[in-house]
Amino acid sequence: MDFSLNQEQEMFRGYVRKYLDGAGQTKTARAYIEGETGSLRALLSGLAELGCTSINISEDYGGMGLGPLDLIPVLEETGRSLLPGLYLETNALAVPLLEKFGTEEQKGRYLAEIAAGTKTFSLAWLEPGGSYGPFGINLEARSLNGQLILSGVKTMVPDAELADHYIVLVRTGKGNRNEGITLVIVDRNETNLTLESQKNIDETRQLSALAFNDVEIPMGQVLGAMHQGWDALQEGLLSFNAALSAVIVGCMEKVVEMAAEYAKIREQFGQPIGRFQAIKHRIVDMKMDLETARSLAYYANWALESGAEDRVQAISCARIFATKAFVRISSDNIQIHGGIGFTEEIDCHLFVKRARFYENYLGSTEQYYKQAATALGW
Amino acid sequence: MDFSFTTKEEEFRLELRAWLEGNLPEGWLEGISNVSKDEGEYAVSLRNWQRKLYEGGWAAIAWPKKYGGREATLMEEIVYQQEMVRVKAPALVNYVGIHMVGPTLMQIGTDEQKAKYIQKILTGEEVWCQGYSEPNAGSDLSAIQTSAVKDGDRWIINGQKVWTSFGHLADRCFLLARTNRFDKKHKGITVFLLDMNQPGVETRPIIQMDGQHDFNEVYLNDAIAYDAEIVGEVDEGWKVTIALLMHERTGIGAQVFTLEQQFNELVGLAKELKEDDKPLLGNPLVRHTMVDLYTRSRGSLLNYYRNLTKTLKNGHPGAEGSMDKLMVSELTKELLSQSISLQGHKGVLWKEDAISSNSYWQDNYLYSFGQTIGGGTSEIQKNTIGERILGLPKDMGR
Repeated sequence: MDFSLNQEQEMFRGYVRKYLDGAGQTKTARAYIEGETGSLRALLSGLAELGCTSINISEDYGGMGLGPLDLIPVLEETGRSLLPGLYLETNALAVPLLEKFGTEEQKGRYLAEIAAGTKTFSLAWLEPGGSYGPFGINLEARSLNGQLILSGVKTMVPDAELADHYIVLVRTGKGNRNEGITLVIVDRNETNLTLESQKNIDETRQLSALAFNDVEIPMGQVLGAMHQGWDALQEGLLSFNAALSAVIVGCMEKVVEMAAEYAKIREQFGQPIGRFQAIKHRIVDMKMDLETARSLAYYANWALESGAEDRVQAISCARIFATKAFVRISSDNIQIHGGIGFTEEIDCHLFVKRARFYENYLGSTEQYYKQAATALGW
Repeated sequence: MDFSFTTKEEEFRLELRAWLEGNLPEGWLEGISNVSKDEGEYAVSLRNWQRKLYEGGWAAIAWPKKYGGREATLMEEIVYQQEMVRVKAPALVNYVGIHMVGPTLMQIGTDEQKAKYIQKILTGEEVWCQGYSEPNAGSDLSAIQTSAVKDGDRWIINGQKVWTSFGHLADRCFLLARTNRFDKKHKGITVFLLDMNQPGVETRPIIQMDGQHDFNEVYLNDAIAYDAEIVGEVDEGWKVTIALLMHERTGIGAQVFTLEQQFNELVGLAKELKEDDKPLLGNPLVRHTMVDLYTRSRGSLLNYYRNLTKTLKNGHPGAEGSMDKLMVSELTKELLSQSISLQGHKGVLWKEDAISSNSYWQDNYLYSFGQTIGGGTSEIQKNTIGERILGLPKDMGR
């Protein structure tokens, strides 16, 4: 029995933590809110230099050839500092999809650049109808002279302006449920593609609407089999959700630390408020949520890495628990802080907003409940 | 990460499994439990069960070989608990003797005490209980008032104990008494190995809300203990108490595995129960609730494994045991509460009229209220976690 990250993984966490602490933790996220992206770009290239972007990429493409468990330290640390940007989407969604379904040409073109930290990916999934289901995919992709012509609209595309490429869910044929959907890779600076930013309650992440006005892409940009994109996406989402759970664990860890530290120094009635059981027990409940989320997230990533039989339910449950618990404890954190917690000055609100961002991110909570129940054979 | 058991651990499991198949009471594995309703007969059957465990070499697997144990590893203890939970083995009547008193005496008892008590604990010849709680000293043990006054080589003991598990079956009691009332709090407490079979000790049953009788009140009226029956030093009993609690190294394991098992049984119940001729498990609300319960049960099992890993690495358990205790007992209560809800109005049918055989869900539901109280209330666990793990200041007055 050994249910822990290994020494190398914990050591690597130490490097990343030190680096992000040096950059002032949430300072970069706050600068990003103000529209200053320079410090984020500098920070991301620093993380790439540390090796964060190459961890789970095959050695053939300049990566370290490691697995999901090795990503955990980076994911947790970026969560702690609410790092903006597309590390999660690139390394935990695009990379596994490219590794599994990409052609040699696609791998050669994208993986080495991701490993070097010079290219990032986002996912263009939702459309104005707002459904994460297969019926919600209506962006049309017509075949014409060996090309695909894309027309339609995607909304709420995360950090579209920071991304170099998008994985886009397009409709290539009629079909029930899982059929007729294809994944394609589209470059940001494609002509006939326009971006319009959307206001996001979590200002540390950007959202945009993408309008495709007959965007022409070569067939070589299709990721995986034609019309089979939905099933491929599900594979990618297993990696993504296992990783998202780890990011959230990092966020939650910081929230519990904030609450406990504040309860030690803030005095009322001549006592630190942490002496009062009403406060103390609430923080303990937060800590229990954190450690449970951590156990579920670590197991989910282990199940993914080892191809365990129970990996689908393990990953769905980790995601469900983490997203819900993050909303709960980041809200509690404001209550513990009292009036100051309600202000912009302290970080509390940033964590609440990020929690809401993740809650139904790339799939709704209800869908993940259904996925878990089905995986359990119910 | 590695969730597998070694070949040696699996062999240990098979050996135990084979032994259980041959030695559990007849019909037990088929779910026919012949637990007698007569308290005297039940007590005899429990003592017989421990005797059998002893004869098979399964009574105290973690004990050193020289005291009759197997020097089992921590992982073998885990396997042992899993297997005992799997077959719902009869209760270990001398739990206190084997898991607490025996190891404590090995550590700090005198040679005479070791010779006199340890073997009889193992065989079940002498059953032990714990004399800690009092009407005004439950979570705050330092408030105990039972007094022991020196009289030559004897001590005269007066007071009242409560929540004494198996006290009515016990021959001896690991008793905390105040020997110096001028010392404050934890000072001035002494541990005695009290003979329960004497005129000064009177045991009265406490009937629990599940109709069972595990607990007792114990009245001490000029009960006698001798100098030779003191563990450690006079007035230094608190250290002994802490040492005793540290011997519980696998902690809450059995409850974690029971929770896992009960969850699987609850799924069975939700499939079996019908609503308009369709299994309840098909109902979206029920599925939602069940996924939540599954997630948290898995979470508590995985938390336990993560803490176990720490214990294996550090060689001793940490305060994380409080997190396991808190989560498992609260979740058990919730799961069993759900089991009653799922049955609809029939959930109130009890004993021989319950819809499940042996009144399984009703009895366990009622019993579960004790689990968030016994062994330290959930509130006390939260204080421990808050103070020892999160570093929050102690409550006022402590």
